[in-house]
Amino acid sequence: MARIPLSPIGRPRDAFLDAKTFEKSRAAMRGKEELLAARRAHVAAGWGPTYVERVHADGKMTARERLEKLRDPGSALFEVGTFVNLGRKFGDRESPGAGVVTVFARVENRWTMVIANDNTVASGSWWPRTPEKIERAQEMALRLRLPVVYLVDCSGLYLPEQSQSFPGRTGAGHIFKRNSELSAAGVPQIAGVFGDCIAGGGYMPIISDRVYMTEKAYMVIAGAALIQGAKSQHLSSLDIGGAEVHVHQSGCADVRVPDDDTAIVMIRAEVARLPTSGAGYYRHAAEAAPPHHATEELSGVFPADHRMTYPAEEVVARLVDHSLFWEILPERGREMIVGVGRVAGLYMGFVANRQGVIDDPGHRGQKKPAGILYKEGIAKVAAFSRACNDDGIPIVWLQDISGFDIGVEAERQGLLAYGSSLIYTNSTNTVPMFTVLLRKASGAGYYAMAGMPYEPVVQLSTPISRLAVMEGRTLAIAAFSTKLDDEFQIATKDPEERAKVESGMKETEARIEGDMDPYKSAAQMDTDEIVSFGELRGWLELFAEASYQAIGYRRVKNPRIWSLHDIAALTEPRG
Amino acid sequence: MFKRLLVANRGEVAVRIARTARELSIVPVGIASQADLGAGWLAGMEEVVCVGGPSARESYLQAERIVQAAVQSGCSALHPGWGFLAENSRFAALCEQHGVTFVGPTPGVMRLMGLKTPAKGAMRRAGLSVIPGSEGLLSGVDEALEKAGGIGYPVILKADAGGGGRGMRRCSDARELSEAFAAATAEAEAAFGDGRLYLERYLEGGRHIEVQVLADRFGKAVHLFERECSIQRNHQKLLEESPSPALSREERAQLGASAARAAAAIGSRGAGTIEFLRDPEGRMFFMEMNARLQVEHPVTEAITGIDIVKVQLEIAANERLGLEQTRLAPRGHAIECRINAEDPANGFRPSPGKLATFEIPRDKGPGSVRVDTHLAAGGSVPPYYDSLIAKVIAHAPTRTGAIETMLRALASARIEGVATTIPLFLEVLVSEEFRSGEYDTSRIPGWDAAPAAHSGATKIAGKARG
Repeated sequence: MARIPLSPIGRPRDAFLDAKTFEKSRAAMRGKEELLAARRAHVAAGWGPTYVERVHADGKMTARERLEKLRDPGSALFEVGTFVNLGRKFGDRESPGAGVVTVFARVENRWTMVIANDNTVASGSWWPRTPEKIERAQEMALRLRLPVVYLVDCSGLYLPEQSQSFPGRTGAGHIFKRNSELSAAGVPQIAGVFGDCIAGGGYMPIISDRVYMTEKAYMVIAGAALIQGAKSQHLSSLDIGGAEVHVHQSGCADVRVPDDDTAIVMIRAEVARLPTSGAGYYRHAAEAAPPHHATEELSGVFPADHRMTYPAEEVVARLVDHSLFWEILPERGREMIVGVGRVAGLYMGFVANRQGVIDDPGHRGQKKPAGILYKEGIAKVAAFSRACNDDGIPIVWLQDISGFDIGVEAERQGLLAYGSSLIYTNSTNTVPMFTVLLRKASGAGYYAMAGMPYEPVVQLSTPISRLAVMEGRTLAIAAFSTKLDDEFQIATKDPEERAKVESGMKETEARIEGDMDPYKSAAQMDTDEIVSFGELRGWLELFAEASYQAIGYRRVKNPRIWSLHDIAALTEPRG
Repeated sequence: MFKRLLVANRGEVAVRIARTARELSIVPVGIASQADLGAGWLAGMEEVVCVGGPSARESYLQAERIVQAAVQSGCSALHPGWGFLAENSRFAALCEQHGVTFVGPTPGVMRLMGLKTPAKGAMRRAGLSVIPGSEGLLSGVDEALEKAGGIGYPVILKADAGGGGRGMRRCSDARELSEAFAAATAEAEAAFGDGRLYLERYLEGGRHIEVQVLADRFGKAVHLFERECSIQRNHQKLLEESPSPALSREERAQLGASAARAAAAIGSRGAGTIEFLRDPEGRMFFMEMNARLQVEHPVTEAITGIDIVKVQLEIAANERLGLEQTRLAPRGHAIECRINAEDPANGFRPSPGKLATFEIPRDKGPGSVRVDTHLAAGGSVPPYYDSLIAKVIAHAPTRTGAIETMLRALASARIEGVATTIPLFLEVLVSEEFRSGEYDTSRIPGWDAAPAAHSGATKIAGKARG
């Protein structure tokens, strides 16, 4: 049938989870969410009130104040890379958010990527990983063809650490290559220049289609400090590269404006001249609607103990419009849930790991654990991923995966090859893909389900994500395997040797547990952002609307001719 | 126009919808629970699909089965009637997703109108007055006191998730409000799992007046005047009339125009009813909108000569609304009595059973009589569903004529086997209070000697199913 037969999915919370367990899980999650909120507040504060006051005394707004003014009133900001460099010290200094805010913001009803130097952190200068964070944001915009707005207020590289941010493949100059690639791909770029923009800060706005400059701003290859004779001639950087020069003489900027406020108003007006979003068209007469089963319940659906299971279909039910979903191939590869639902009225593909135990199709009457990739599940996901790519349905990967099946039978079945087929598919897909590490993201499972190395447009973690090649206990077993017997017990009888192995294994386990902290992944850019479960649906709405905003750059087949129908037709029961 | 229509309801409304479908050469397909299989009223359907067990939960509320019934019986549209799934936006979305046109508003409008606070906000923006209140949820007792001070006592606390009077508290001063807040929160939490409250000015002695609107998908909306529904018992409307004796010609035109504008502004589609509370000073406050066909729609059909179900189907088929407001005028006066199988002498206890006799004459003057029913002698009233067995509508050039006609029709009706509410109506219709037209929701004229004992607070501002 060429219709998309969405059906009700999910049950009321009390039908699968008692109130006590739910409240307990929610309470455990609340602690983690509070930590998330506190760490966000810490990053948002930059270097603190002294530096905010300094910006204000200068007659300027802070980066975050500019963002507030830029976004559509009442719309949410979706920040990425918040925790880059979290906890990392440079001398006695920290670089909250690596000194730059990168955020999806709705401006005049269009999703934009805004890249704003944080002028409360070392005058918006670039730290180690700042270029990478900016480039990542540019890449997201390029993938979705979203307009980019640069709010430039950057005094160049943070020089004491220049060796880590200047020379490499992703060194600061790579930002300008990305500027060029965005431009070459026809992605609109608009820049506001607000302050001291020296060297890199000066290059960053120039490739943009429109450049607005305030009276406080200057752009220079080198500031007055490096110009011979500047002191005796009383030349300031503003004299060398202010709006007077760049708007009227060099042509490096287009418009001069008196202040920050006016610049933002004019940038908004510029965005309003861009094409409107295609999302309304691609809703195919449907309207955005919230899930029927409340998204807020998700934080209590995930058990406090990460070894416990939960019904994965209830997670999907709490993310899709009206809790209506078309599960494809529901009878095969039961360990995986694949299918289509609407998010904000727009079709999105979902891949999720069923949890708990499932029937083992290979051994009648036996059960096996889900949350693992087996042959059928991998094949199902690969076929689904290919079809979605073919049909232009953006894919959301909801990971809670312990890895691939292992053992004699698994190898004999050729799981390496099935897995590689999936990896090939995901690697060559051009449809926007988004990955959410709901909980476990282990080993090749993380790879096969479009983890970061497979370049999803955005990858989100939650406060309970566990990203590692394997769980700590398993890794300790692998590392000490020569000392263990068949049952993974310590083989030696020598008490001293036993104690050594035991403490070594414990230490390994603890270290891996620490490595799996989502903030560590976020700090080193192995994941793009950490979001709470309550926020997840909002993010998916952003992904859907942003994926369908630009028209003409990617295939979007109308639903009646989806390849997914072919899969369904070939597997429908006959007669 | 659609070829086949699934009538996704039972009883009187199913018969009503099927009648218009036949007139438009649309084949009506019915659904039935196991309890209703074999009922006489199903004879009007071309085909009947059994959708499950006797209780509504097992049958008439089974969204997926009903959509499947529509698809399998080749129906291209579905009319939900009222009650059951008629205001379930997820059901409407499910129908559309499966290619079955839902005869009703878009799921978005339906959802919006189902949420109390957002619905009021939307209607305020659309130009209607709403009862002065907190304009949103209260953060705590301090905010409640502050807001109440601003709008003036008495106030009523209401549960955002609520209905049916639970979580409601009337408070005549700050002390009462402070005391009631925690209790109302706890009651709402227990009843609905959501203890959030809002607050409104408590209005005494109001009238329930509603406006019938029709809107097409091209932004055109008209109104078909008002219905007076102040005669209620426990939020159940008993008797409705149109026009309302309370409104002047100017008020009528003004109220209707503002309702039609509001309906267009929120993107309503099809038939809808905007309910107002009229306070003794004559101010009209928006209460809620029912984006569906209402039980009492025949009084409007009587005075306008318009078949509302027909217009619903035309709008659902994306036809343009052909009616022009300037050409619409109320003709005469109509009254509807809802005959329920309930015993008014015995606390309105439901009275299911088999009908030995069932005769309601239609030939009583001076006006004309319409009887909407799905029953006949030999039929039965099952205990699983609501107790409506018939609606009698009298239409005459004057209000007095309509009252006389109704009195004669009801006085000579013969229904045996179940108790009915006819004795109540006979009392109401002869009462001076009703005949004067001066009545309100606080009591049933000619029946309640004193102001109604049952939770007066909820009675006035609460919702009556229509």
